[in-house]
Amino acid sequence: MQELLTNPVIQSSAAPFLVGLVVASSLFPIRLAGLAAGAGFLAAVWMIGAFGFAPLTATRKIVVLGAAAPVLGVLADLAFKPTRATAPVLGVLFGAGSIWVFWSVLSQKPAAEGALLGAGIVALVLWTVSLTVSLQDRAVRAGAAGLFLGLGAGAGAVLGASALLGQYGLALGAACGAFLLLAMILGKRVVAGATFTLTASVAATLIAAGAMLLAKLPWTSLAALALIPLAVRLPLAEKSPAWIQAIVASLYALAPAAGAWALAWQSSRVP
Amino acid sequence: MKRVVLAGALLAAFPLAANAQAETYKVDPIHSFPHFGVDHFGVSTIWGRFDKMSGTFTIDRAAKKGSVELVIETATVTTGDTDKGSRPRTRDEHLRQADFFNVAEFPRMTYKSTNVKFNGDNPAEIEGQLTLLGVTKPVTIKLDRWTCKDHPMSKKPMCGGNASGSFKRTDFGMKYGTPALGDEIRLMINFEGYKE
Repeated sequence: MQELLTNPVIQSSAAPFLVGLVVASSLFPIRLAGLAAGAGFLAAVWMIGAFGFAPLTATRKIVVLGAAAPVLGVLADLAFKPTRATAPVLGVLFGAGSIWVFWSVLSQKPAAEGALLGAGIVALVLWTVSLTVSLQDRAVRAGAAGLFLGLGAGAGAVLGASALLGQYGLALGAACGAFLLLAMILGKRVVAGATFTLTASVAATLIAAGAMLLAKLPWTSLAALALIPLAVRLPLAEKSPAWIQAIVASLYALAPAAGAWALAWQSSRVP
Repeated sequence: MKRVVLAGALLAAFPLAANAQAETYKVDPIHSFPHFGVDHFGVSTIWGRFDKMSGTFTIDRAAKKGSVELVIETATVTTGDTDKGSRPRTRDEHLRQADFFNVAEFPRMTYKSTNVKFNGDNPAEIEGQLTLLGVTKPVTIKLDRWTCKDHPMSKKPMCGGNASGSFKRTDFGMKYGTPALGDEIRLMINFEGYKE
């Protein structure tokens, strides 16, 4: 059993998927199935043994914001009526948070380079969070976006030479996959809300940005990943069963994710 | 009265005289390298090194005191694996990323002595604090070899030797790959320094 729990493949796929599935199927009646993303992600962090806050490195700050996102998401879903402003406000908030996450790296770079990278990361987080959170009422599209944001960032990080960030991303993708599976089966009874969309978008973009700054994921891969929340907006046959919609939305999301992997692979071929 | 003044002057001059015994040496970066060894899958020991180390050490033979301050540029880590072949990244590239030395966030590791123990006239053991990945822990280094002489060509006074020690990388938060990749890091440092 111990061997299973310490196996990186189990830690970043089966375990977060199962945790996500249990959480989603237990909490969907109270409209909190979206907690699957945060639960699966944090379960993987725990299993990897990476919970710790001293020193508070950029990687640990990713976990901190990844844990804060579902809390804020639940608050946004339960305490406030969703408005058009919710998504951009959360985007700005976590965009600013990304500077805090990566300040220890950005502040050591030449001023112009640090400013450019920082602005790019803020723009990426703002864009991805805003677009993904605005999918909060469309569980299938949100689930497909979360699935491939996580898998895209995770596999990209592995190609960029960071196994830990790779595990985080793949775990997030697996947990989002569990949510999507439930949405495929139960259709509109499953609600994504800001709980799901905020967690998936914040954690995935920070993991991808971390893989760029702390490893070798090219910025072009991040740009490709940012297209995922747009891609899942492509037309779906709304009257078709949820599982068909989920497959089609996943194929839409797969395209930019595959592009991100291809760009990461291509950059790894440069001597 | 004259004797009192003389004694006072001698006392005042004593710290200067004592200080004059302490010699400071600047680490020669082209003959000083920290090497490290780590167990690989319980089969062999992989050795690597950092190509850039700077710092100073002082020695006061009369007072049997000394000190060491070293700065190691973590981005210069190498294990000789530079050709990625069909792999996406080399081992050396991986070592520089967040899983190991996280050079973007922690470009330097430092070692600062807290106590130097002597065996006769020569330093034998250094107790100090290693700061790696933002974590500072005590690490003791044993001096396996220590020699001071004039450089054969330039005739500049120099000291140097070999030092060894070990620490657990997980103590510094470097957990990736354990236990398959060993936790214990063996240190072998060859160093030379010129008197300032």
